[in-house]
Amino acid sequence: MLYSGGKDSNLALLKAREEFEVSCLVTLSPKSEESVVFHYPNTELVKLQAESLGIPLIMKTCSDDEEGSLKALYDVLTKAKELYGVEGVVTGAIRSTYQATRFQRICDDLGLWCFNPLWLRDELSVLKEAIDLGFEIIFVRVAGVDASLLGRRLDEGIVERFSKMKGYLNPAGEGGEYETFVLWMPAFRRRIVVEDYEIVGGEFDATMIVRRARLV
Amino acid sequence: MILLISTCKYRLSEEEFVRPIEDILKSEGYDYEVRRYYENFEPRKKAIICGTALRDFDYLNHTAKFRTLLDCDVLGICAGYQILAKLFSHELEEIRKIGVYEVDVVEENPLMRSSFRAYFLHKLSLRKVRDPLKPLATQQDEVCAFQIGRRNVYGLSFHPEVLNEDIVVEFLGL
Repeated sequence: MLYSGGKDSNLALLKAREEFEVSCLVTLSPKSEESVVFHYPNTELVKLQAESLGIPLIMKTCSDDEEGSLKALYDVLTKAKELYGVEGVVTGAIRSTYQATRFQRICDDLGLWCFNPLWLRDELSVLKEAIDLGFEIIFVRVAGVDASLLGRRLDEGIVERFSKMKGYLNPAGEGGEYETFVLWMPAFRRRIVVEDYEIVGGEFDATMIVRRARLV
Repeated sequence: MILLISTCKYRLSEEEFVRPIEDILKSEGYDYEVRRYYENFEPRKKAIICGTALRDFDYLNHTAKFRTLLDCDVLGICAGYQILAKLFSHELEEIRKIGVYEVDVVEENPLMRSSFRAYFLHKLSLRKVRDPLKPLATQQDEVCAFQIGRRNVYGLSFHPEVLNEDIVVEFLGL
């Protein structure tokens, strides 16, 4: 499972578990918000999510550029094959042909199946499904959206707000407008509580850096 | 009623390759039923054979039963293109194409009117076709769209549901 810790990869994970055993999570940790391929902030917190899920995690840092990111992905999936005998990869890609193309190529080069269960989903329906399933999702980065969202929980009110902004905002944040972190979802055994954080950046380009969090 | 045929070995792939076509049918107000390639299916006025994952080829062991569809209007997408090609004794070639590429329309047809960009995800396709297959569009040396004679039976090696929903809508309106 290509896992960022955000809403899309968690929803994709739930769907994958209905048919397959998810043998490990794979997380790429880019150096900065400039990453062109992967989710940036708080990737260290994925360790808490993996613990809550009871699924092994393979984590690897990568550079922000495309070449470095994809090389790291190739290496980490190779490792997942060796360690856990994985036969396929699940991603939370929704609409980005840029991401899908690259993930599909790497999976095929490695002889792995590639599954994208959220592919072409209406973005608002993804948000609504996650809320209906009881996901607790917070915003951890914004770029072009009001920074007051940081730390706030995704709810119907915010979905409604995004639906009105659909003409110039990808409601699922796939254009990098925002990134999320899941504190709880149905496959988690324990909930994550954020105890200390810092917000860095400006009014419309900011990141919530979680300093301390724990499982309860 | 539109017959929608899944060529996916795994249900998880249907979320990626069948559900998007269902969404188009719903948004256009069509009734449809979904059948899987290994199930029996009755011909309907129109049928869409959906694509599947890059490494999924199990449907190629079940191509003969698709012959029953040839009296219908058929849109074969990727795996569906391959099934139609096999039904007309074409040998599929190993052509891996993943990503967005420019498509050139080479023959006037009701589905595609000018050149466009399309999303490809396949490992098997055709470089040449022969009668009764007629090339409609090409991507470099690949025949990426064909029609069978004058029937409303079409094969597309790309995935129109990703960037070219209008092609599916045009087919539905034939």
